Amino acid sequence: MANQLRIALAGNPNSGKTTLFNKLTGSNQFVGNWPGVTVEKKEGKLIVDKEVVLTDLPGIYSLSPYTLEEVVARNYLIEEKPDAILNIVDATNLERNLYLTTQLTELGIPVVIALNMMDLVKKAGDSINVKELSRQLGCKIVEISALKGDGVKEAALAAIEAAKTGKTVPQHTFSGPVEHALAHIEEVTVHDLPEERQRWYAIKLFERDEKVMEQLKIPASTRAHIENDIAAAEKELDDDAESIITNERYVYIGETLKGIYKKKGKGQLSVSDKIDKIVTNRILALPIFAIVMFLVYALAMGKSVADGGISLGTFLTDWANDVLGGAWLTDGSRAILESWGAAPWLVGLISDGIFAGVGAVLGFVPQMLVLFLMLCLLEDCGYMARIAFIMDRIFRRFGLSGKSFIPMLVGTGCGIPGVMASRTIENERDRRMTIMTTTFMPCGAKMPIIGLIAGALFGGSTWVAVSAYFIGVAAIVISGIMLKKTKMFAGDPAPFVMELPAYHLPAWGNVLRGTWERGWSFIKRAGTVIVISSIVIWFLTSFGSVNGHFGMVDDLYADETVVTDEYVSQVADRMGIPEDEVEPMDDSLLARVAQPVSVVFKPLGFGDWKPTAATVTGLVAKEEVVANFGIMYAYDDKEGEEELEENGDQIWDRVAEDFNAFSDGHGRLAAYAFMIFNLLCAPCFAAIGAIKREMNSRKWTWFAIAYQCGFAWVIGFIVWQVGRLFVGGMNIVGLVIALVLLGLLCWQLFKPYKESQKLTVK
Amino acid sequence: MMPLIMTDAGEENIIRRVGGSPEMKKHLEDMGFVAGSAVTVMNTIGGNLIVKIKESRVAISKEMAQKIMV
Repeated sequence: MANQLRIALAGNPNSGKTTLFNKLTGSNQFVGNWPGVTVEKKEGKLIVDKEVVLTDLPGIYSLSPYTLEEVVARNYLIEEKPDAILNIVDATNLERNLYLTTQLTELGIPVVIALNMMDLVKKAGDSINVKELSRQLGCKIVEISALKGDGVKEAALAAIEAAKTGKTVPQHTFSGPVEHALAHIEEVTVHDLPEERQRWYAIKLFERDEKVMEQLKIPASTRAHIENDIAAAEKELDDDAESIITNERYVYIGETLKGIYKKKGKGQLSVSDKIDKIVTNRILALPIFAIVMFLVYALAMGKSVADGGISLGTFLTDWANDVLGGAWLTDGSRAILESWGAAPWLVGLISDGIFAGVGAVLGFVPQMLVLFLMLCLLEDCGYMARIAFIMDRIFRRFGLSGKSFIPMLVGTGCGIPGVMASRTIENERDRRMTIMTTTFMPCGAKMPIIGLIAGALFGGSTWVAVSAYFIGVAAIVISGIMLKKTKMFAGDPAPFVMELPAYHLPAWGNVLRGTWERGWSFIKRAGTVIVISSIVIWFLTSFGSVNGHFGMVDDLYADETVVTDEYVSQVADRMGIPEDEVEPMDDSLLARVAQPVSVVFKPLGFGDWKPTAATVTGLVAKEEVVANFGIMYAYDDKEGEEELEENGDQIWDRVAEDFNAFSDGHGRLAAYAFMIFNLLCAPCFAAIGAIKREMNSRKWTWFAIAYQCGFAWVIGFIVWQVGRLFVGGMNIVGLVIALVLLGLLCWQLFKPYKESQKLTVK
Repeated sequence: MMPLIMTDAGEENIIRRVGGSPEMKKHLEDMGFVAGSAVTVMNTIGGNLIVKIKESRVAISKEMAQKIMV
């Protein structure tokens, strides 16, 4: 609709903007991305008037061009020109919030202020003369409480009214020298533009805003001309142009608030400050953090409530795996299809292919939802910002910022939301590095691999799992340091600055909405990729060419005219196994494809087609690794006698035997190298998709995948080659190469940072 | 003048000057760290600070705190 009204919602981070947006639009929301960037864009239709579209701008402090969010917000305001701006202002932090307001009123778009948290101001005994403030700022002010929903409707109606008829003229002026320069700039550059926008452009040109200069295509001669005016003002006021403007805005706000804002209490510690005294205390901070994290994981993925633990997530996941996935989806669909008389291949495709694959992923959903719920709670109550702050000192040592910690935390549940959580990192370099390293953390789907290796070859030792987490963290640390010393990532991580919102009780509406949004994107993305890949994997393991006949390998092997003794010995020869071990699957397309690929893993000790095939299918979904071991080591669950346990303990003996066979008796070492490779190499397709979206670049996505796989291979190689020095059977060429690689790693790790990249204190 | 990092926790100071790269300086100023503003260090941990500026609590790293002169 051409004459549909558009209103933009703007405000500082932590001003209650998201809560207000949800209250104003209810469930009428569409979530997308701003064009070209990975900043989330939310739009919704107003509840009070469905004809009005409300756009939620990113939370910003200013309209300067330094952060992605600010650029996105101001491009929208300048280029799309909404009919009105609804500016949410936190009344408990009036000065800082009005700083943005002074900039918004310069845009020539009607502004209505929604003054949030007035109830808290009154409760503290302070007072704000709203009427006078409205007069001074030249825009309508509506008092609201976004949390309680008070005044929200009135604010929306006021914004609609302003959009139809209103006009906002900035009431503030700058000091003499600045105004003098601004008048000149308006005269020579922007007098062709609509009158109400001239001031904003003039101020930006005064600040030497590169983006505006480009946009207006200011010729070099004019630039030089206005540069004189700017320099004159700078000289007179003894500061740079940007700072002059910023300072004068704050001075203006300070003057305006005199007599309007009356503060009663002063200098007392707020409840939030008292909590911070304990929670961010230099001694207690880390132990408290450890306890909180322990609780989060115990509740989400620890011991199930059914086994005497406290985890609701594990309880529901067990149920989803055993009952929903196993019994209902897989067996149920098979029973139904067979009763309809469907062809066996179709039953296989739907039940064993699609439903088994999808079921495996859906099984993780309850654990994920509980984990997301916990993380959303931590975020909403304000603790998440403190975690980033506490971890910053530690992360900075290896070139990452404290904000990188949150993606890694989420990544222990699932890499997809983990990669997505990297969005909060402003600095592009830091963000890319976080995206590349986040998936080194063992995610929920990698746990079964660890369980299988630990159980089959290490007698179920817990140290295998502990070492897996250690390897994950070490891989992040080592990669952080090494990458930081390359040209692409050189430079210190952006200095840490982050507002710490006051602690408050969680707003359940926000928490549940956030949990559902993350959970649903997990289900949707994982779901679509898994359906397709399950079909492909099922096809590749079920079909093959046997002695010149193509078809389902199980059927062909049942036919003795096709599978002659002579043919069996050929297969045994090709696969390098005894004749009595030849199975139908050795002729599947997967085996045929995996056999030559397995050469790649020979130097890592597991160059056999079965682990190779498992590794490759692990790219589809890491759960597939164990699932494939189950199929390949001939554990037959088609009879429906018992389910293959998630840790695959029924096949442990055969796996151990096989690993020992192809590694000359060093099965443990080979299995450990196998585990390391699978933990560190490129994540599943769904997570690679997330990496691609967040990197927003094909080149960077490929670089990330290549780095992850290369790093995994090198570490696996070093472990296998150097390990055999101790267990015997060492290969001198391999050992030398391994030591050279190790030396290169250490060199990259310990060489000094480039001198010029060090921070200099001015 | 001395950098913010040298001040005692709980003591209110007035910002004299903000240094650092133009981007960092602008970002700090946008968040309220402008000359003439009152600033109080609330807490320190491993060199990083939590400071009170205007009515908000902002966590800043050591490097930034060294460039805010009070």
